[in-house]
Amino acid sequence: MSRFFKGGLSDSDTSSSDEELYSEAEESEAEEGSSSESGSEDESEEAEESGDDEGGSRFLKGGRGGSDDESSEDEGKRVVKSAKDKRLEEIEASIKLIENGQKINDWVVISAEFDKLNKLVAKGPQDSLTPKIYIRIVADLEDFMNETLKDKVAAKKMNAANARALNAIKQRLKRNNRAYEREIEEYKKDKEAFMVEEKEVEISIPRPRTIRGPTENIAPEGEDDDEGFEAVGKGGKTLKFTPESIFKHLRGIIEARGKKNTDKGEQIRIMEKLYEVAQTPYQKIKVLLALISTRFDLTYGALSYMSSEQWKAAEKEFNTLLEVLEANPDYVVIENAEEWDDDEKQPVPVPGEILKIPGSVVSFVDRLDDELTRSLQHIDPHTTEYIDRLSDEGALYTTIIRNQLYLERFRTNQNISTDEAINRVIMRRLEHLYFKPEQVIVTVEENAWKSIPEGLDSVISPKKASPAASDLLYTLCTYLYKHDATVLRTRAMLCHIYHYALHNQFYKARDLMLMSHLQENIHVADVGTQILYNRTLVQVGLCAFRAGLIYEAQTCLQEICGTGRLKEMLAQGVQIQRYSQVSPEQERLERQRQLPFHQHINLELLECAYLTCSMLLEIPALAATGSSPDLKKRVISKTFRRMLEYHERQIFTGPAENTRDHVMQSAKALAAGEWKRSSELIHAIKIWDLLPEPQKIKDMLSEKIQEEGLRTYLFTYAPFYDTLSISRLVEMFDLSERKASALVSKMIAHEEIAAALDQVNNAIIFRKGVELSRLQTLALTLSDKASGLMEMNERVLEQKTQGQGGFPEGGQRGGGGRGGRGGRRGDHEGGGRGRGGGQGKGRGNKNVQFNQQSGFHGGAMRT
Amino acid sequence: MAETSSSDAAVSYDLVPKLMPHLDRHLIFPLLEFVESRGVFSHEEMLQAKYDLLKNSDMADFVGSLYRDIHDTGDIPEEFAKKKEAVVQTLKDLEEQSSPVLQLLENPDVVGNLRSDKTQNMVYLKDNHGVTVESVNVLYDFGQQQFSCGNYGAAADLLYQFRILSTDSDKTSHATWGKLACEILMTHWDSAMEEVTKVKDLIEQKLYNNPLDQLQHRTWLVHWCLFPFFNHDASKDILLEMFFSPAYINTIQTSCPWILRYVAAAVITNRNRNRNTVQYQKQLKDLVRIVKQELYEYRDPITDFVAALYIDFDFEEAQRKLGEAEEVLGSDFFLVNSAEAFVDSARHLISESYCKIHQRIDIKDLAQRLNLSQDEGEKWIVNLIRDTRVDAKIDYKDGTVIMNHPPQSVYQQVIERTKGGFFRTQVITAAVSK
Repeated sequence: MSRFFKGGLSDSDTSSSDEELYSEAEESEAEEGSSSESGSEDESEEAEESGDDEGGSRFLKGGRGGSDDESSEDEGKRVVKSAKDKRLEEIEASIKLIENGQKINDWVVISAEFDKLNKLVAKGPQDSLTPKIYIRIVADLEDFMNETLKDKVAAKKMNAANARALNAIKQRLKRNNRAYEREIEEYKKDKEAFMVEEKEVEISIPRPRTIRGPTENIAPEGEDDDEGFEAVGKGGKTLKFTPESIFKHLRGIIEARGKKNTDKGEQIRIMEKLYEVAQTPYQKIKVLLALISTRFDLTYGALSYMSSEQWKAAEKEFNTLLEVLEANPDYVVIENAEEWDDDEKQPVPVPGEILKIPGSVVSFVDRLDDELTRSLQHIDPHTTEYIDRLSDEGALYTTIIRNQLYLERFRTNQNISTDEAINRVIMRRLEHLYFKPEQVIVTVEENAWKSIPEGLDSVISPKKASPAASDLLYTLCTYLYKHDATVLRTRAMLCHIYHYALHNQFYKARDLMLMSHLQENIHVADVGTQILYNRTLVQVGLCAFRAGLIYEAQTCLQEICGTGRLKEMLAQGVQIQRYSQVSPEQERLERQRQLPFHQHINLELLECAYLTCSMLLEIPALAATGSSPDLKKRVISKTFRRMLEYHERQIFTGPAENTRDHVMQSAKALAAGEWKRSSELIHAIKIWDLLPEPQKIKDMLSEKIQEEGLRTYLFTYAPFYDTLSISRLVEMFDLSERKASALVSKMIAHEEIAAALDQVNNAIIFRKGVELSRLQTLALTLSDKASGLMEMNERVLEQKTQGQGGFPEGGQRGGGGRGGRGGRRGDHEGGGRGRGGGQGKGRGNKNVQFNQQSGFHGGAMRT
Repeated sequence: MAETSSSDAAVSYDLVPKLMPHLDRHLIFPLLEFVESRGVFSHEEMLQAKYDLLKNSDMADFVGSLYRDIHDTGDIPEEFAKKKEAVVQTLKDLEEQSSPVLQLLENPDVVGNLRSDKTQNMVYLKDNHGVTVESVNVLYDFGQQQFSCGNYGAAADLLYQFRILSTDSDKTSHATWGKLACEILMTHWDSAMEEVTKVKDLIEQKLYNNPLDQLQHRTWLVHWCLFPFFNHDASKDILLEMFFSPAYINTIQTSCPWILRYVAAAVITNRNRNRNTVQYQKQLKDLVRIVKQELYEYRDPITDFVAALYIDFDFEEAQRKLGEAEEVLGSDFFLVNSAEAFVDSARHLISESYCKIHQRIDIKDLAQRLNLSQDEGEKWIVNLIRDTRVDAKIDYKDGTVIMNHPPQSVYQQVIERTKGGFFRTQVITAAVSK
């Protein structure tokens, strides 16, 4: 049809319906090629409504309303259409096609169009009414379909495709029409009236637009005339909240979720009201579930966080939800429940049976926790705001426990498996506890239990179990060990180790760490777990340091501190790297991983401990190697050496200012044999005060410095002595004679120095002529390398043949033994390696110290 | 149990309570007897302990008399008589039931027809002599009953016969454990060692997939092995080797570190008998390593001695610990016989490493260190020099020994390091070409 002709038609149409306002809509309709009268009416009604609802388009409309005459005259010109109108046009078009299909009995077309129609209707803005034309066509279609079905002969004559389409539409229509039952009913009762009503409404509508106020409008949703709560909704509509209409509102809100133009604040207000009128537990639960999730929806994007008020409100509502659930054991919120479709009547639980409501309680807790962490990440930790926010943690912890209790009861009383959920909740609980010192944990626990109603108690972690924090952690962790085989178990283990390390139980922490074999596969774990692992490792290192186990501390800390990416590895801030090519995406992810400030481990303390340990190990080692050619062979800490070199290059060294300066100058003093100065410098470091009992740490360090000073002195100055009396050493290093001679004996026995003791004179006698010529040293190195090569070959072969090569290892080498420095550690372990698999859960690798854990860091963090 | 203060060290290092959970009640009995003989606890306490130990066993007569002693009543209460009757009755029943099978096994014709394949044997016996699985299992029950009554010899025989016939692997392994207990209790060390090997193999094979059970069983085995370990010289080396094998040393470290005392004592006392110094050095080195690792978890004077001597090189401390160790050894059921040998070997070790470190030693001082008089000390040193072929001379005038420690020649070192190279390379070549 030509546009011109059409346009004329539509013009007459508008005039007949006395509604000039909507000419533009009709015009567009004309473009689509459909011109049913009633359709245009419906559509205009719809457009009117939408104009009512949406501020933006209202103005647009208003403008158009004023210039309607022109626009109707200018038909054929390009017309600006709102999205709404477009949609209506499409609906119209579909309806037209359906009607055509009905005439020729073509069900394939009808079916396709019906689908399209449904989609269109669903896509529309959430607050619009279902178009009346839609109701009409649906109702008509149903009638027509029923007729067709009755006519058996016609049905048989149909071709296969047609029949199939008919069947499909039959089912879909039934389902679909249930939702619009009432409207269809109305329509069927009196077709004319239904449509006429529309017209009246249409006429009445323009008025309220101009005269805003108390005018009584259509109240499409408040159809029940019960007593109820009345509120003025958007666009002047009256919203009535009654217990019966709750579900209708909820449905509307839920359907609007994720759509554009939804005002979440408004929805929350509505739901708050709804909760006030909710009477039955079912209503309450449903409203709360929707309300809490809407609150969470308020924030989106990676960089924003939930406001404190919203969080608190959500937390409170969640507690209310738990209360409701606790009070009504017949209702259960579970993830895989069936959705209850019927809005009109609500389900009532059969006594003795449980009503399942779809939803997930655990995910709320998860979300609450995450949101709190997120806000803590963003708030400046040095403000009072941070402290205020942090105080919410207590409430959250209580909620977590309460949730745990709920889930437990769930399981015991109702035999519903909630293992996964319980595990998650317990893990959350652990993550709130593990980094806290004992007293804090005890207080937190006490406060939490205080605010939980009496009479509730946990099976897994009973209220009155034991006040000791480590017992609680033990209980929680063992529960997870037993019941979870996934990543949670790893995390629980790490938390457990962390806790032990924090409380100075180094051996327990270390044994657990080694027995868990975590270090072997941590590099395949997710980044969060890796960070936890790093934190744990560092904490174990600090623990060893406090216990005076310098070697262990150094090897633990080396792993993390030696990399120079300390901040990144512990997720305590983004390190600015000079030549790094971090994409914004990566940086964003990294920021998300950051730990809140109160969980941080003091980096300066960490570095200080690491450098001090390195000093105590490196300085004697440096002195021992002296000027021999394999000087570079055993580097204990690269970082330390680099710093020392840098320090030595400086021409003028001022007094020590920062921690690093202190350690470096102390190291220099130690190397020169001035243990007193070295010890003073170390003592001057302020950061030790952060450790518990700093004096004890300092004393321990002094003692170590004395010992290592003596060793360094002997290494350095042995070539210049022929004999050296022990008493002189005792005097110099202020050690007890017994200790000094024990140290010297040890060095002699390990063949670190070529000397022997003279008991009569109480002196060390240095042997002469043991210094090797350069050629001899090289020969020794060569022989070492040769045997190393052979060993490598054997190992390769062993791996290839899966240990069946069967080398009589230890036996071959037994004779040699003594010569080399440090002896042969590997001898006795090599033999067992083949059988290693069956060695029970033993601490088989205990002697394999921490340095086996390499392979992690680097790539893992870069993902 | 109440502790008396008479010998504090000995009591505080008493391992009996730690050992008991891992032993069979019949095996514990000798331990209790020993504790009683030490007189640390009162007679009544010991009686009560024995009674508690055995009241669930079937040795009704003995338990009854224990009961009488405890309660000082003249006669044995009724229940014991009843129990005894019941036990005798069961025994009779079992004997009757098992007699056909036993007679069969005495028949040389039947035995001659048995092959190594157990299923085959079962089929053969079933077809020709009507022996069923149940009747074989009766043997097991009977053996258990006999064991419970204290007839270890009979029990051992029955279990042996059961093992020949049975195809039930679970019961066979139980029977093996039972047989081991019987052999230990009858002090048949050679056959006990055979059983130990069998049990060890069983643990390796059967529980391969269950590390926890494996650990548990190994722990038991380690404990049970202590009986032959210190009572039968021939088994000492074998068991020591077993203890030092990775699987068992892990077991000891993980679940029962106190066994380290026995391992340490065994290694140290082994010195005199064992002329194979290379192996001895290796064992000593292993021992030092493990003791060092376990110091935080378990320590007693014996391990402390090892630590003081080889880790801290504190000779005075070592000396002191040796004194304590002597006391502890004297009160230990397993080690009481090796106490002297231990002290003797320990002295050797002290002086050996002392000489290694020192160049000139005052004999008087050394003698004092070893708790010997000066003359004895001199003799001791002369013996030491002769035994260990140390390069040393006695300066009689000053009363000193002068050690000469020639530094190991560089050439010697190079030679030693490269010694095995050719052979090892050959082995690799052979293996690769295979």
